Amino acid sequence: MTDAVTMTNERNQLFRDLFSGKTPKRVPVSNPATQDFAIQYAGLDLAECQWDLTKLEPVYDKFCQDFFTDTYPGGSIRIPSHYQLLGSTPIVMSSSGFMQHPEVVGLLAEEYDEFIASPYDCIVEKVLPRLFTELNGAPGKVAMSLAKAMRAQSDDLAYLGTIRAKMNAKYGYAGMIGALTEAPFDFMADFLRSFKGISGDVRRYPDKVAAACDAVLPLMIKKGTLPNPSMLGYTFIPLHMAPYLRDKDFATLYWPTFKKLVETMASMGQNVQLFVEQDWMRYLDYLYELPENTIMRFEYGDAKLVKEKLGKKHIISGFYPITLLQTGTKQQCIDKAKELLDILAPGGKYWFQADKSVINFEAKGPVAENMSAVLEYVHENGTY
Amino acid sequence: MIDLKVLTQAVGDLDEKTILTMINDFVATNPSGEDAQKVVFACQQGMAIVGELFETNEYYVGDLIFAGELLSKTIDLLKPVLSGVASQKIGSIVIGTVQGDLHDIGKNIFGSMAEAAGFDVYDLGIDVSPSAFVEKVKEVKPQIIGMSGVLTLAIDSMKNTVKALNEAGLRNSVKIIIGGNPVNEDACKQIGADDFTTNAAEGLKTCQGWVK
Ligand code: B12
Repeated sequence: MTDAVTMTNERNQLFRDLFSGKTPKRVPVSNPATQDFAIQYAGLDLAECQWDLTKLEPVYDKFCQDFFTDTYPGGSIRIPSHYQLLGSTPIVMSSSGFMQHPEVVGLLAEEYDEFIASPYDCIVEKVLPRLFTELNGAPGKVAMSLAKAMRAQSDDLAYLGTIRAKMNAKYGYAGMIGALTEAPFDFMADFLRSFKGISGDVRRYPDKVAAACDAVLPLMIKKGTLPNPSMLGYTFIPLHMAPYLRDKDFATLYWPTFKKLVETMASMGQNVQLFVEQDWMRYLDYLYELPENTIMRFEYGDAKLVKEKLGKKHIISGFYPITLLQTGTKQQCIDKAKELLDILAPGGKYWFQADKSVINFEAKGPVAENMSAVLEYVHENGTY
Repeated sequence: MIDLKVLTQAVGDLDEKTILTMINDFVATNPSGEDAQKVVFACQQGMAIVGELFETNEYYVGDLIFAGELLSKTIDLLKPVLSGVASQKIGSIVIGTVQGDLHDIGKNIFGSMAEAAGFDVYDLGIDVSPSAFVEKVKEVKPQIIGMSGVLTLAIDSMKNTVKALNEAGLRNSVKIIIGGNPVNEDACKQIGADDFTTNAAEGLKTCQGWVK
C-alpha cells in the first residue's frame, strides 16, 4: 500500500469512530479555508479561475501542500458556469469574483396556497422561471438553456472531481461524501420568500408558513439523502433563520419540521452535520433533543456550556474564531486552539473546524501563516 | 381624533391590522398636516418601543425587519395628508447602500424615518458606486449624505465614496453620516464621515441637528 492509501484508511477510521460516537485516535481536523482563498493564495484571479477550471489543479496542490487537513479542502463550491447559463438571480458573481446570494423572491405571498397544495409543481412552474431568467420563455428555448447548463455543470463537476481524486491519491484524505439540504423554514426564506418576506409572513400568516414547511419537508429529505446511507459521509445542513426569530415563532414554525428532517436522516442511518450559524445559545435545550451523534458545528457561543449540555450526546465542532487569524499573533492563535482542545476534546466527540469559512486572502496579512500553525498544532496535539 | 397612545402601542406591538385601520380612518377624516405630523411622531415613538424590545431580547432581527416594512407602509398612507406640509421640508438627504453591499433593510428603515420627519429623501438603492453618489449630489445638492453598509468591506467602499466626493470638490458642501452594524468611531474617522450610528432614530436626531 502506498503512504497515501494508508493515510486515507487511517483517516477514514478517524471519522468512522467519530461519527459512531467512539473516541478516535486523535481529533480530526478540517482546513477552514475555501477554494476562494486557495485561488488568491496561489496569486491568481478569483473570477478567472472559476470560469477556467483548468487553472485549479496547481491551486489545489499548493493549498493541500501548505495546510494540514484530514478532509479534502474543496467543499461547498458554487461554480459560476451553469448559474450564468440559467440566468441565475439568487446566486450571482460579484465584481470581485465572489459568488453571493442577494435577496430574491421566488414565491409571492398570494401563491402560498398553490405551493402548499403541490410544492414541486409550484417550484417548477412558478418559482424557477422567476428566479432563473433563462427558464422563463418558450419551451424550446428553456429546454436548450437547461441542456447547456446541465452539460456545463456536469463537465465542471467531473473536472473538479478529477482534481479531488488526484489530491486524495497524493495527500491521503478521508474519502467522505456529502449531500446538502436545508431546514424547511430556511428553504422557504432563502429561495422562496426572502429574508424580508418571511419576516412579514411569520406575523401575517403563520399558519401558511407552517403548512408550507410541512409540504416541502419531503423534498428537503430527498435532497439530503446520500446515494447509499452506509457510505462514509454526512448530510450538511446550514442553519440560517432561527436566531432572527422570537422564541415562540421558532418553537411553532422552525423547529418541528427541522427536527423531523434530522430524525429522518438519522433513521436512514445517515450522519448529519449542522452548521449552527449565528447565536443559538437560547436554543440549546432544543438541540439536545436531536438524535445522538448529530454533528453540530457552531459559529458562535460558549464552548464550555455547549460541551456540558450537548457534548455527551452530540459531536461538537466549530467555535474557532477565524478573525483571530487576521488580528492575532501566532502564539495567540495557537493558544486559542489549545483552549478549545482542552474544553472540547475530552471524551471524544470533537472535530476541529473553525467558526466560519476563510474566503479571503491578503498577501501581506498573517492569515496563511497563522492558519497553517493552528492546523499543525491541532494535528500534533489532538491525540487521545 | 385618533388615539395617539393606542397607535404608539400598536406600532410597538407590531400589530399591523390595528395600525392600518387607525391610519386609514385617520386619513379619511382629511386631517391637517399638523395633525398628520403628530401621527408620524406617535409612530416613531412606537418604533422606539420596538427598539427597546429588541435591546431586551424580546424582539429579534426578523421583528425589526417587519417593523421597517410597517413603518414605510404607514408613511406611504400618510403621504397625501403630509404633502400639505410640503413647504416645511426640513432638508434633503441622499442615501444608499455602498458599493459591493446588497443589504438594504437598515437603510430603508432610516429612509422611512427621515422621510416621515420631513426630509426629502433620495434613495440610490444598493451596491451604489462612489460616482453614483457624486452624480446625485451634483444633481440635487443635498445637505446630508447617508451611507449604509453591513459587510466588513462596506467600510472600504465608504472610504472610496468620501474620497470621490473630495475629488469632485463636493465634500465640504455636505454632512456625511454612516450607518450599519460594522460602523464605529474608528471607522468613522478613517472614512472621513461626520458622524456614525447603529441606530436609525439616533441617526435621525443627528441629521435634524445638522439642518437646524
Ligand atoms: C438580512 C441579511 C441578509 C439578507 C439581506 C436582505 C436585505 N434586503 O437587506 C440576505 C439573505 C439577502 C443576505 C445576503 C448576504 N449576506 Co447577509 N445578513 C443579513 C443579516 C441576517 C441581518 C442584516 C440586517 O438587515 N440587520 C437588521 C438591520 C435593521 O440592522 P442594520 O443594518 O445595522 O441597520 C440599523 C442601523 O445600523 C441603522 N442604519 C443602517 N443603515 C443606516 C444608514 C444611515 C444613513 C443611518 C443614519 C442609519 C443606518 O438603522 C438600522 C435600524 O436601527 C446579517 C446578520 C446580522 N445578525 O446582522 C447578515 C450578514 C450581514 N450577512 C453576511 C453575508 C456574508 C452575506 C452574503 C455575502 C452571503 C453570501 N455568501 O452570499 C450575502 C450578501 C451579498 C452582498 N454582497 O451584500 C454577513 C456579513 C459578514 C461580514 N463581516 O462582512 C452577516 C453579518 C452574517 C454573518 N454572520 O455571516 N444577508
